[in-house]
Amino acid sequence: MIIFSSVSKIFGQKKAVDKISFKTKEGEIIGFVGPNGAGKTTTMRLILGYLKPTAGEILIDNLNPIENRTAVLKKIGYLPENNPLYPEMKVKEYLEFIAEVKKDSQWQNVVENTGLAEVLNQKIEELSRGFKQRVGLAAALIGNPKILVLDEPTSGLDPLEQEKIRDLIKKLAKKKTIIFSTHILSEVEDVANRLIIIHQGKIVYDGKKPKGKGKVEKLFKLKIKNETA
Amino acid sequence: MKTLFKKEINYYLNNPLGYIIVILFAVFINFWVVKDVFVSSVASIKPFFNLLPWFLMIFIPALSMRIFAEEKKVNTIEVLLTLPLNEVTIFLAKFLALFILVCLGLVLTFGLPLFLAFFSHLSLVEVIVGYLGALILSAVFISLSIFLSNKTKNQVVAFLLALIVNFILLVLTTDFLASIMPKIVLDLFNLYSPINHYQNFIKGLVDLRSLFYFLSFFLVFFLLTVIDLKRRK
Repeated sequence: MIIFSSVSKIFGQKKAVDKISFKTKEGEIIGFVGPNGAGKTTTMRLILGYLKPTAGEILIDNLNPIENRTAVLKKIGYLPENNPLYPEMKVKEYLEFIAEVKKDSQWQNVVENTGLAEVLNQKIEELSRGFKQRVGLAAALIGNPKILVLDEPTSGLDPLEQEKIRDLIKKLAKKKTIIFSTHILSEVEDVANRLIIIHQGKIVYDGKKPKGKGKVEKLFKLKIKNETA
Repeated sequence: MKTLFKKEINYYLNNPLGYIIVILFAVFINFWVVKDVFVSSVASIKPFFNLLPWFLMIFIPALSMRIFAEEKKVNTIEVLLTLPLNEVTIFLAKFLALFILVCLGLVLTFGLPLFLAFFSHLSLVEVIVGYLGALILSAVFISLSIFLSNKTKNQVVAFLLALIVNFILLVLTTDFLASIMPKIVLDLFNLYSPINHYQNFIKGLVDLRSLFYFLSFFLVFFLLTVIDLKRRK
């Protein structure tokens, strides 16, 4: 479970995240949306302990991600923004490296789930954007983490690839908590069961995803307009 | 640590850059020493050990400039720091990979004492302790280079910073400074100069004070790097 209690993060003069609070439950797929610069990536990095909060408290399964870094990171699979990878490594080498660090000997299942079998012996730098994204996602899935934090997992992918990633996320959702950020609101409609909207560092909506086609977009625009006005 | 070490060493073994730097180091230092043997007609191992720090001054920054700088540039540092690896493990794995490469470079100079042994009697103890000193000095330069590589996203800046700092450290007790600095300052430089402590090894002496000095130097940059990695923005 992730618990954010009045968490703020300030960079110099800028408040990237401003007193946000939320809790997650097992089995939730949370669509985390907001305009550019709203604080989505910052929030995700705070969950991982990659950034330290300026104020407030963060607990991941009752553990502080800064003080109990390695214990927390064993529970989380993370796909960072822009999916940084080691281009000189082969896909198999990279996934073996991640698997050894996370002490997972069953990582071949992840290869099947992410459709990477055909590119295992290729260098990461030779892969298409779609396959690179799948490698990043596979790395996040290795170790069977309870929590998945995916920062724009379908960014830069064509519609077919986006659909494949969405289907994979839905498949993985059982017994996991998934937080994914996206600019594609239809993705949230399709995949998520909970919606958090963040704007200028503040949470402006946290609740069930509204039902009906186009409702997420309507709600998003309404909340952002209200906050901007 | 073994996993990360394997990944780091494989980068250099699967990349021409690692081979080019190690071979260039070996070729240049072997050439420089051998040419002087024929000019000076003195077959001693001491000129090699005296020259070695000046080559390590360039060789080690060239090898280690990418070790953190590249990770920061392409942002794989975020991948590394969000894996269940502690910062000490990250430093030690990277350090060990670089140390093994430096050892490989030094192995490529083993021909020199064998060559010199044909012309004069070489003390085996002097050779062994000299190489030990070279390894210890290398460990210190590596820890410093890793620390500086962690301070920037630009490999060239990392290389130049390490080169300049190594140069300053080596120049501290040379005749150049001896002629312009007051004695009290020179004595202080002598105390903290890596070259001064390294000289003991060249003489075939394993001085515990020098070992302590090098260990402290290594620990300072090891700790500074780990603290930097642990620090969260």
